[in-house]
Formats: sequence, C-alpha cells, structure tokens
Amino acid sequence: MATTTATITLASTDLLSDELALTTTATLTGAGNSTGLTGTAGLARKTVTGGHAQYTLFDGSDYTADKAHKLYLKNTSTTAAEYFLITVNSEDVGRLYAGDWALIPWSAHDNDNDIKIDPSANDMTLEYMLFTDE
Amino acid sequence: MATTTAAVTLTSDLLSDALSVSASTTCMKAGTTADGLDQMEYGVVEIATGTAYDIICSTPTASKASKLYIKNHSTDETYYVRVVLDAQNIGSLYGGDWMFIPADFHDANADIEITAVGGTNIIEYALFHEGTILTAS
Repeated sequence: MATTTATITLASTDLLSDELALTTTATLTGAGNSTGLTGTAGLARKTVTGGHAQYTLFDGSDYTADKAHKLYLKNTSTTAAEYFLITVNSEDVGRLYAGDWALIPWSAHDNDNDIKIDPSANDMTLEYMLFTDE
Repeated sequence: MATTTAAVTLTSDLLSDALSVSASTTCMKAGTTADGLDQMEYGVVEIATGTAYDIICSTPTASKASKLYIKNHSTDETYYVRVVLDAQNIGSLYGGDWMFIPADFHDANADIEITAVGGTNIIEYALFHEGTILTAS
C-alpha cells in the first residue's frame, strides 16, 4: 500500500500575543478506510497563455464520486497582484495569489463537480497534483 | 504588519521515485507584498451529525486573500465532515485530514458549511483574513 502524507505548518510570531506554531500531518487514505490513496495525476505545471478565462483543470466525470481525492495547487507567479480564481462547478472557492498554495479535499461529487481555474493575467503558471481515491 | 507563514510538504511512495513536494507562502493581503493578513479566527468545535453548520459565523470581507484551515480530529476512519460552499459540495475531510484553501466569501451566500457524518466530529479551524463584518448586538 502506498503511503502519502501531507504536513502543514502554520507559524507566526507576531499575529497574536503568543507565538502561533501549528503543525499537523495527515496520511491520505481512502473514503472510510485506512488504505492509502493509490492514484495520482501530476505533479504537473500548466502555463495559461490566454489569460483571463475559465479553464477546466479536472473534470468531475473522470473521477469516482464521493471519494477522498485531494488536490494540491500552487500559483508560481511572483507578481503580487496575479491570482488564480479557483472554482468548483460554478461556485468560487477563492483566489490563489502569487506564491500561495492550497490543499483541497475533492469529492468529485457529480459530473458537474469540475475543478476550474481562471488566471487574472496572461502567462500565469499553476503547479498542481491530484491524489485520487479510485 | 503580521507575518504568518503556511508551509506544506507532500511525500509519497506512489511513484517509482520518491515524491517530496514542499511549498511555503507568507499570507499576504490581496495583491500586495507589503502587508500581511493581520486578523484571525481560531477555534475547536464538536459537530454532531445531521445538521449543516457555518464554520465561520461572521462575514469576512469578500474577494480578498483569506485563507481557511480546517482539520478533522476524529480518529475513526469512517467519520467525516462534508464541506459545502453555497450548496456546492466541495469535498469531505475524513478523520485526520486537513485542508488549507483560499476563501473568497464572494457574496452573502458563500458560507462554508460543514456537516458531520458517522458520529460527532471534532473540528479545528483557523481563518486568516483582512476583516469581517460582525453581527450587531
């Protein structure tokens, strides 16, 4: 069985009166079981030359519904104002600004549950990886 | 300005070669490198099964660079919370899983709802943001 882990560290010395230092690790397993995720799409990079428009990154119909897929995204831009708007189906999740990353649980709930990206400028590059629960 | 960093490391033996991906970002306000996110909301809640709850009760400023962290502390692998954004099912956090996402809160309906499945789930969350609209008392 494959073992995939995801560790996050959130840290700040000056946001609160006391230091914030939060670290946790998840072993990525299938929905409702302890079997490690067995599939992946990526690691990959995509440069969107066309600029502002919505593109489908992952199609919900290509993946088993209601599973424990996990999606990693990173905006490699170094221009602070540039962001990718991340959307699931037609619902905006959030803006991934330059250098930001995200780890999103994705259920591929139905055929319309696509992961979509919309860059704010031309020639922006997204790094991404999908761990699948098939 | 406050400086808050968020780092991730992904490791796996899924592939023929070992995978190790790391990234770190400083959580900045939207579109700037000069001013970090300086407000946060942090908590731990027990969520009983059956009802959808807004994990963030206030209304953060829309379309900014807010970041939301949620962890499911359940140890039972069959327990999970369903994460829904304005009626759109995003995904499920099983026992031990965490997520870190940009959160847009683009309109009044863009609440992040969680529903516990399997049993009572213990959820830890942190929202880093640029401001919220508090409910008048």
